[in-house]
Amino acid sequence: MKLLLKLAWRNLWRNKRRSLITLAAIAFATFAAVGMRGIQKGVYAINIENAVNMFSGYLQIQNAEYNANPSLRKSFKVDEKIITILESNENILSFSERLYADGLISFKDNSQGAAILAVDPVAEKTVTNLATKIYEGKFLSPDPTHEIVLGYKLLEKLNAEIGDEIVVLTQGFDGSLGNLKFKIIGTSKLGMQEFDGMSAFIGLKPAQELTAMYGRIHAVAVKIDGLNNINKVKESLTESIGNENLAVLSWDEVMPDFKQSIELDNISGIFMLMFLIIIVAFGILNTVLMSVTERFNEFGVTLSIGMPQMKLVKLIFIETIALTIVGLLIGNIIGWFTNYYFHLNPIEFSTGEYAAVIEEYGWLPTMPSSIEPMIFINTSFMILFASFLSCIYPAWKVFKLEPLKGIRYT
Amino acid sequence: MQIIRTEKLEKIYNDNGVPVHALKGIDLEIAKGDFMVIAGPSGSGKTTLLNLMGALDKPTEGNIFIENEDISTKSKKELSEFRLKNLGFVFQAYNLIPVLTALENIEFSMMLLGINEEERQDKALALMKELEIDELANKRPNEMSGGQQQRVAVTRAIVNNPSVVLADEPTANLDSETGAKLLDLMQKMNKEKNITFIFSSHDSQVIERAKRLLILKDGKIVEEK
Amino acid sequence: MLLTLAWRNIWRNKRRSLIVMISIVVGVMMVFFTNGFMNGMLFQMLKNQISSSVSHILIHKKGFNDNKVIQSYIPDPELVEGAIKEQTGIKNYSKKLISFGLLSSASNSSGVFLNGVNPIEEKDVTKIKESIIEGTYLTENKRDLVIGKKLAEKLEVGIGDKVVAMANTPDGSIGSEMFRIVGIYKTFSSEFDKIYIYANKQITQEMLEVENKEYEFSIICEDYQQADIIKEQIKNQLPDEYEVLSYVDLLPMIIFQIDMSKQWMWILNIIVGVALIFGIINTMLMSVYERIQEIGVLMSIGMKNGKIISMITLEAFILGVTGTIGGIIFSLLVMWPFYNSGINLAVFSDGLNSFGIGAVIYPVLNINDFAATLIILPIVSVLAALYPAYKAIKLEPIYAVRYV
Repeated sequence: MKLLLKLAWRNLWRNKRRSLITLAAIAFATFAAVGMRGIQKGVYAINIENAVNMFSGYLQIQNAEYNANPSLRKSFKVDEKIITILESNENILSFSERLYADGLISFKDNSQGAAILAVDPVAEKTVTNLATKIYEGKFLSPDPTHEIVLGYKLLEKLNAEIGDEIVVLTQGFDGSLGNLKFKIIGTSKLGMQEFDGMSAFIGLKPAQELTAMYGRIHAVAVKIDGLNNINKVKESLTESIGNENLAVLSWDEVMPDFKQSIELDNISGIFMLMFLIIIVAFGILNTVLMSVTERFNEFGVTLSIGMPQMKLVKLIFIETIALTIVGLLIGNIIGWFTNYYFHLNPIEFSTGEYAAVIEEYGWLPTMPSSIEPMIFINTSFMILFASFLSCIYPAWKVFKLEPLKGIRYT
Repeated sequence: MQIIRTEKLEKIYNDNGVPVHALKGIDLEIAKGDFMVIAGPSGSGKTTLLNLMGALDKPTEGNIFIENEDISTKSKKELSEFRLKNLGFVFQAYNLIPVLTALENIEFSMMLLGINEEERQDKALALMKELEIDELANKRPNEMSGGQQQRVAVTRAIVNNPSVVLADEPTANLDSETGAKLLDLMQKMNKEKNITFIFSSHDSQVIERAKRLLILKDGKIVEEK
Repeated sequence: MLLTLAWRNIWRNKRRSLIVMISIVVGVMMVFFTNGFMNGMLFQMLKNQISSSVSHILIHKKGFNDNKVIQSYIPDPELVEGAIKEQTGIKNYSKKLISFGLLSSASNSSGVFLNGVNPIEEKDVTKIKESIIEGTYLTENKRDLVIGKKLAEKLEVGIGDKVVAMANTPDGSIGSEMFRIVGIYKTFSSEFDKIYIYANKQITQEMLEVENKEYEFSIICEDYQQADIIKEQIKNQLPDEYEVLSYVDLLPMIIFQIDMSKQWMWILNIIVGVALIFGIINTMLMSVYERIQEIGVLMSIGMKNGKIISMITLEAFILGVTGTIGGIIFSLLVMWPFYNSGINLAVFSDGLNSFGIGAVIYPVLNINDFAATLIILPIVSVLAALYPAYKAIKLEPIYAVRYV
C-alpha cells in the first residue's frame, strides 16, 4: 500500500499541468455544487422558519379530518388533559388555540370574501410573530371583543380605513348565519399578496360567539425548541393524547403546498447537480484514460517483472481518488467560505420585479446560504462516487493489459 | 543442471486474420549458468522464443519447463508470481518506472515479494556498490543516460536471485562502448553468481560473448554453436 | 486545407475526441432539459391562467381589476361590444358578471368569486366546460351552478345539492339566492377550484339587483401574441373610463419569469461551459504534447505561428460545434416523447397545483435557447484551446523535433 501511494503521488506530479487542470475541474464542480446547494438549503431553512413562525407553528393539533377537508364543523374542544400534556412536555415552548372560518366582510356598500383567523392575542404572541407583522395601526389587544386586523390589501379592496366599522358575516356551527360588527384597529402584511388580500384576524372569543362554536376550536398551534425535534415531539404528543379523533400535524403537513414546492425545487437542484457532476466525470475519464494509455509501455514492463495486475488497477484508483480528494478539499474550503459569507450576508432582493415574483409565491425576497455539514458531505460523496465511476473503464483497460501488448504499445 | 527445457514449441500468431507461424517445433535444453544468445534476422522468431521462455506468452503447441515446472499450464496470476520469483527481465527500453529513483526501481521487485524495507535497501545498495552504480542511487530515470538506465535494469533483474535473466535486445539503443560495459556487467554476474542469461539479439558484440549461440531462421533452429 | 488537417487530427484519437464530445453532449442536454422544462412550466402556467379566467384581453370599467366591487359595472356595454365587433383578429368573446360572495351549504361556507355567464359564450372563451368531471355544464335551468372539486369537498356537497350564494348589492344590502349544483369541475389549480363558481348570468344579475349590467368582456384573439397590439387598438376606440388589459398586463409575474428564463439560459450555458472548459483544455493539451514532434516539423518547414494556433483552435472549435449539435440532436430525441405525453410529476402534484401548473409538464424550447448554446459552447471550446495552442508555438522547432 505504501508503495502504491508513493507511486500514485509521484505519477500525479509527473504531469503537473494535467493534474492541476483536473484538480481545478473537480474543485470548480465541488464549489459550484456546494454553492448552489448552500443557497437552496439556506433559502429553504429561512422560509420554513419564516412560515413556521409567521403562522403555522411547528406543530398543530387538529380534528383528524380537518386538514384534508377544512370545514367549520371539523372542530374539537381542548380539555384539561390536552393542556396538561402540552404544558408538561419539556420540548414545547408555548401553544395557542385558533379558530378558522370563511366569511364575507362588508363595509358600506362593498363586501369582500375573507379568511377569518381567530386567535388568542396573548397566547399567539408566544407562538408566532404574527403580532409583529402589523403594517399600520396595532395588533389585537388582550381583550379584543370588537377588534379586527385586516390584511392591508383587504383594507384597500374594501376602501376602508383604520377606525372604520365593518360587518363580518359567516355561517355558524349550527348552519345559521351569524354577523357581528368589528372595528378595524390595524392592518397586517405577511408578504403573500393573495393572503394579505383576504386575511382578517379577530379574537378567539368573539369568533366563537360569531360562529356559535362555544368552547370549540380548529387548531392548537405549538411552538417547540427547534425544527429538528419535530418528529420526536409529534410522536410523543400523538401517543400521550391518545385520541384517534385528533391529529398532531407537523408544519409540512399543515402546508403541503409549501412543502412540495420546496421539494420540487430541491429535486431540480439535485438534477442540476447530477448533470454538473456528470460533465466533470467525463473530464476525469478522459484524463485518466490518457494518463493510463500513455503509460502502457511502462505498465507492460512492470507486469513482466511480476507486478500483480490488481496492484496496477489499485494504483489507477488511488491516483484518481487522491486527486479527487484534494480537489474536493479545495472546492469545499472555497465553497464553505463563500457559503459562510452569504450565510451572514444574504443576497437581498429588496426591490424590483424579482422580489415581487418571489413574494408572490410566498417566499422571502432574501437568499441566504447555508453551512449545514450535510451539504458538503453529500456533495463530496457524489463527486467521489462519480470519479470512482470514471476510473472503471481505464482501470478495466489496465486489468486486461497483457505485458507484451503493453511493452509494444505505440 | 538443466534449467529450461522446451518440447516441440509451436507458436502461431493471428495477425489481422493472417496466421503467422512464428515458431516451428523448438526443442531446447538450457543448463544453469549458461550465457546464451538467440540470434537471427528480424522475424525469425527470436523474440517470440524469448517471450515464451519468459512466461510472457503462451505457446500454441508444446511445453516449456522452467526449473521442472510446466509453465504452459499456469494461470495468468500464477505466471505473474512465477516471473516475480524466478525470472529477471531486461528490455530494450522503458525498463524503469520513471517516477522511482534507481534505488527504488531496484527495490521494486523485492517490495512486490514483501521483503521489509531495511533488508531490501541493504541488499539493493550492496548490489549497486558491487556493480559500481551506487552513485546513481537517488537519480530518476530521466536524469540518467541510456547506458546507466540499462545497468540499473540489469541490477533490478538480478536482485531477487532469479534462475534466469532474459534480455531482449538490451544493447539496441546503446552505442557500442556503453553496450560493451553493460555486457561486461552481465558477464561478470554470470561468472561470479552463476546466473543464467538468455539474450535475443543480432548485435555482433553480444553474439561474440555467447557461451552458446542459437541461430533461428523462419521459426526453426538452423545452427547451434 | 487547415480544416482538413484539423478534422483528421480530431479523429486520430477517436476515443479521446468522442469522450470530449460526449461531455459536451451531456452539458447541452443539461441545459436543454433544465430550460425546456422550466419554460414548459412557465408556458403551462400562462396557458392555464389564460384558459381559466384571464383570457387574452379583458375589458372592465376602470379600477375593476384591482377591486371587484359590484358598483363598477361597464357603463356602456353596447359601445364596447361594437368596438370588439369592428376589431379584426378576435376569435371569441364573452361578457359576464363577477362578484365576491359567500357560498354556503348546510355544513360549511366559503368565500367565492361568483361568475354570472352566458353558458354558450363562455364555453368558447374559458375552459370550464371542458374541465367538468362530474355532472354537466350550465343548462337552461335558472338555478344551475357549477363549482370546483375542492370547493365541493369543503362544502361537503355533490351534484343535485342545494347551496346558497350571498353577495352585496350596489346599495350595500346583501342579495342571496339558492342554487343547485349541476356540475363539478377540476382545473390545474386547486386554489382556483376553491374560489371560482359559475351560474347563469341572468339569475346573478337579479340576485345582485344589477339587471342588464355587464362587468367584464373577455376576449380570445386568433393569435395570442397579437393580444397587446389588439388591446391598444381597442383601447383607442374606448373612452378613458374603461380599462383594457392584455394577459401581459394581467400576469406580470409569469411574463417576467418567461423573460428571466431567457437570461437564465445564458447563465446556465456559462456554468456548463466552465464545467466543460477544464476537460477541453486537458484534452487539447494532451493532443498538442503528443504531436510535439509533428508540430516541430511543421514549424521547421515554415508553418507560421498564426497558422498553428488556427489549426489547434480550429480542432477545438470543431469538437465544440460537433458536440453542441450532437447535444441538441440528442436532447431533441430524448425530449421528443415528452412533447406529446409530458413528464408526470404526480409526486409533487400538490406543490405544482399551488403554482398554477398541472402535474404533467410539457417541455418547451425556443429558437433563442438554441442560439445561446450554439454561441457559448463553441466559444468556450476555442477559449479552452488558446492555452494549449500557446504552448505549441512556444516550442522551439529543434527542441520539439527531439522531444520524445
